[in-house]
Amino acid sequence: MSAAGSIRIIAIVGGSAAFLIGASIFLAAIGRPPLATLSQMVLYAFGDSYSLSESLVKATPILLCALAVILPARLGLITVGGEGQLYFGALTGTAVVIALPAAPMVVLLPAMLLAGAIGGGAWSGIAGLLRARCNVNETISTLLMNYVAVLLVNYVIYGAWKDPASLGWPATMMFPPAAIVPSVFGTRAHVGLIVGIAAAVVLHISVTHTRWGIALRVLAGNRKVAAMAGFSFVKQTLLVMALGGALAGFAGICETSAIQGRLQAGISVGYGLTGFLVAWLSGQNFLRAIPIAILIGGLIAAGDALQLYSKIPSASATIMQGLLFVAALGASGLAGRGTARHG
Amino acid sequence: MAQPLVMMSSIRKQFGPVLANDDVSVTVNAGEVLALLGENGAGKSTLMKILYGFYAADAGTIRISGQPVSFSSPREAMAAGIGMVFQQFSLIPALSVLENLLAALPDAPWLQPRGSTKVRAALRWLTRLAPEIDPNRAVRTLSVGERQLVELAKVLNLDARVVILDEPTSVLTPAETERLYGFIKTLTSEGKAVVLITHKLADIAACADHIVVMRGGKIVDEAPARDRTPGSLVEAMVGRGVAGSLPPPSSPPTDVPLLQVRGLSADIQGRKIRDVSFELAPGEILGIAGVSGNGQFTLAESLAGLVPALAGDVVLDGVSIASRVEDGAISGDVAYVPERPLDNAVVADLDLALNLALRDVRQLDFFPDRKAAFRRAHELISRYDIRPPQPTLAASALSGGNLQKLVIARELSGRVRLVIACYPTMGLDVLATQAVYREMFRQATEDACVVWISEELDDLLSYAHRIAVIHAGEIMGITRREAADRRTLGRWMAGHAMIEAA
Amino acid sequence: MAETEALAIAGSWVAAMLRSSTPLMMVTLGETLTQRVGIVNLGVEGQMLCGACVGFAVAAATGSPVLGFAAGATAGLLLSFVHATLCLGCDANQIGSGIAVFTLGLGLSSYFGRSAIGGKVAGLAPLADNSFADALFVGPILTQLTAIAPFAILVVLIAGLWLYRTRTGLNWRITGESFQTARALGIRPLLVQAQGILVGGLLSGFAGAILSVDYTQTWANEMTKGRGFVAVGLVIVARWNPFLVLPVVLLFGLSEAATLRLQATGLTLSPYLISCLPYLVCLGCVIIVAVREGRIGGMPAELASVFGRRR
Repeated sequence: MSAAGSIRIIAIVGGSAAFLIGASIFLAAIGRPPLATLSQMVLYAFGDSYSLSESLVKATPILLCALAVILPARLGLITVGGEGQLYFGALTGTAVVIALPAAPMVVLLPAMLLAGAIGGGAWSGIAGLLRARCNVNETISTLLMNYVAVLLVNYVIYGAWKDPASLGWPATMMFPPAAIVPSVFGTRAHVGLIVGIAAAVVLHISVTHTRWGIALRVLAGNRKVAAMAGFSFVKQTLLVMALGGALAGFAGICETSAIQGRLQAGISVGYGLTGFLVAWLSGQNFLRAIPIAILIGGLIAAGDALQLYSKIPSASATIMQGLLFVAALGASGLAGRGTARHG
Repeated sequence: MAQPLVMMSSIRKQFGPVLANDDVSVTVNAGEVLALLGENGAGKSTLMKILYGFYAADAGTIRISGQPVSFSSPREAMAAGIGMVFQQFSLIPALSVLENLLAALPDAPWLQPRGSTKVRAALRWLTRLAPEIDPNRAVRTLSVGERQLVELAKVLNLDARVVILDEPTSVLTPAETERLYGFIKTLTSEGKAVVLITHKLADIAACADHIVVMRGGKIVDEAPARDRTPGSLVEAMVGRGVAGSLPPPSSPPTDVPLLQVRGLSADIQGRKIRDVSFELAPGEILGIAGVSGNGQFTLAESLAGLVPALAGDVVLDGVSIASRVEDGAISGDVAYVPERPLDNAVVADLDLALNLALRDVRQLDFFPDRKAAFRRAHELISRYDIRPPQPTLAASALSGGNLQKLVIARELSGRVRLVIACYPTMGLDVLATQAVYREMFRQATEDACVVWISEELDDLLSYAHRIAVIHAGEIMGITRREAADRRTLGRWMAGHAMIEAA
Repeated sequence: MAETEALAIAGSWVAAMLRSSTPLMMVTLGETLTQRVGIVNLGVEGQMLCGACVGFAVAAATGSPVLGFAAGATAGLLLSFVHATLCLGCDANQIGSGIAVFTLGLGLSSYFGRSAIGGKVAGLAPLADNSFADALFVGPILTQLTAIAPFAILVVLIAGLWLYRTRTGLNWRITGESFQTARALGIRPLLVQAQGILVGGLLSGFAGAILSVDYTQTWANEMTKGRGFVAVGLVIVARWNPFLVLPVVLLFGLSEAATLRLQATGLTLSPYLISCLPYLVCLGCVIIVAVREGRIGGMPAELASVFGRRR
């Protein structure tokens, strides 16, 4: 077996073990039987078709946000802006619905989705432009812009776009049926999931088998040599940031339309951040991000179910995510170091 | 006679298949300058790094003042009074001179207010060597020569009895070199021993007391300095050297210029060139000599069109190739072999096949044909003897010499009109050097212009059709090889421009 | 009389500025010291949250704000231990590890902070009682500020002196510039980096506790609102120099105080738009520094591998 393959297996086994231990300690500490609770979580996540569909619903924005992290990472950029891009895409997508509430579905739905993607792409593109032109670190700019995007959404839902009929609840009007993203397989899961999986496959093929993929690898490896070969860092930075942001923005408008039915606060429960986590767990690999996003989606769905049925606060799912991330990072780092030393 | 300060006997050191030191014995006496003379790769630095505790010898013994010692780290060697100034300095550019000196001082106080006597003590050698250097300046802002003095002061602060200088004059201007010779004499007059690793005869003539000549890991000659003439030393040092072993390329057939450089000015982060002009006929080789760091990098980059020209133009066969920055690749007619290939010419974590294909990567299909790329890589790898010969290997797995071969294979295997080569043989052994020269000269016989930037003055004098000297970003003079003499070139390298009438 | 009035207003502005910038001062200082040893810790946001949560809970339980500060700092320290273990012990990526620590801190503070929501604590007593309220200029400062603001300024100054004028500080800076050189000089760079991370953790936890115990005197989920991330940006603006942390953070505090004042004047602008200002100001500062320097000036060289370097 290749060295990289064995590193991966050690990392997965070690990481899972460390996560299970950590999660058990946490559950025991809050007075829950660890094993019973954990197996209950698996059931809540994937036990029946309803649970599975809820997990897929959660997995959709996570997957799209993970892709929005992985694509820039192929150029060596570390963005943490999925959350902001998601919110801004929701904002611009909703703007179309507000502007054309009576338009027929063939016009409204594509226009809304496109506007969402463009909004997310533009929001992320700003960070890309700052990076490419002014050398502003993209990690910091995307982190800060997350907060601004959330506040901008709050601004419109508490202000101009607030639906007077919602009795003080800060939200826009309900989207007309023509602006509702269709669901698939007769569940709550929606078209966004299909788009996410398709995007992952297309992006994977693009970066591994095309000249564009070579351009990204050369640029990520040596900017100087890339310039000699005629690859532009500025152009590619803008491209990957905008494309990634578009995916996250698309996730945002899908959540707004298919899940919430209107723009309101809390359209995302940290999907952007969770997407970042998934991107790292996948080793910045588009295809591996798909199952991992579904797993994490299951974890979040199970957290919601636990809160509903067992009165365990949903913050425990965040803690579990943190533990999982810590365990995975630690295990893959250790596995990589172990082989580096002996190799 | 007094006991020798250092005795290294029968030292042997092997790196993989290469025997860097083969049964080498040297003696260093107090108050004396020992010159270790030899070509690059002769094993001089390795020998001294063993004394400095940087490497462990595979066999042999070291005695200091008669006592056998065995150092497992430079710190132990330093404690025993051995200090070494490397070609690559270990100073931290962001910190000030004083802070760099304090950091290396074992008895530096914990509290370090700037006025205190204990802190000033770190400056005791620097103020003797170079009182004009402000200790609060960041090392980043110092010239190479000044940095070397700070490094020397750092070593002397540790009360070193033996000071090893590794090629100290290769980065210095002539004036700085003279000053260094003066310091070396001061040190020996105070009873310290100095080991001078060098490949320059001028260093020997200026200050050596005793000479050890190394070649291929062995000592080939040893004598007091006064007993040797430069001629005999060169013979010992070079053996059958590179010079003379290749036929010099024939003169260009015409003098109709193919390349015209007119008033070219450029600036890469303060490294400037100004008003550079010359013309080259097809098949002509122009050697560019000069102390490194005088604008060679900027000249090469701007000739290749990688940095925008602030003024002037580069015209190749009637077409301007300057300032193709940002989007355009290097012109397909230009082959560029930059200095430090790992930084400037290859992508370390891509495989050899891709690295070899980078020259025309933009012409690849959108879905590139991998099999074709591997076929071509196999062919180039065997033709240029790149090792290990595996196209799937990452470039980072290659040694410096093999990386250079990879770049040569990529850049010089096709037909081009202009070759820009920046220190193309740095770090290569004799065979590899010859192979590089052969490729370069082949391009010339096929009517390409060659701009060859080098520090190997002897090689330039043997092979280039004309030699230009660059100093502080300006061309000081250009001369035909037949008319060139070392003294004139040396004056130009020191910044004295060509007098038009002469 | 206009003069007296102007002085009184200036005094209240200074007070507001200091109050709102004290937590940020501590977390920015902590991140500065961490980055000085060549480590980026985005987990400061999570550490700050835990510090705020634990500090508030302890202050509420014991009635002692000082114990609250100590507990908050300890919480931040413990959480930063995770970052140190991941980055130094497991060679994990620093950005990834920072986000993991943030996630963990976010989860832990929201989980264990549930019971504290809505509670109230008594912070430190003001520097002077209300009899001084009318004193010119210093009146509002003395009556509105607690001992924590001058203490924080003192900590920043001491940290600066320590970093630039002691052997240990020099060793920290060398480690941040070159791990290899540090090792060659006999410094144990891993140990120094661990210390840098833990000191950053301590200070960010302390900052969180200042926020909940002294400034707002309440606890709410995600109450730090990205101040930790803002701090990471401000470290760049302050060019990794503790002495510059002071003016940078105070200017930032001024802009925050200004937004609060704007809201109080009954401006019709939405509070949500005004709340964007701190992030935009921070981003703007980072952009200005990046453009003006051409490259990130003063950045410890070891950070280049994490932050990327312009080439």
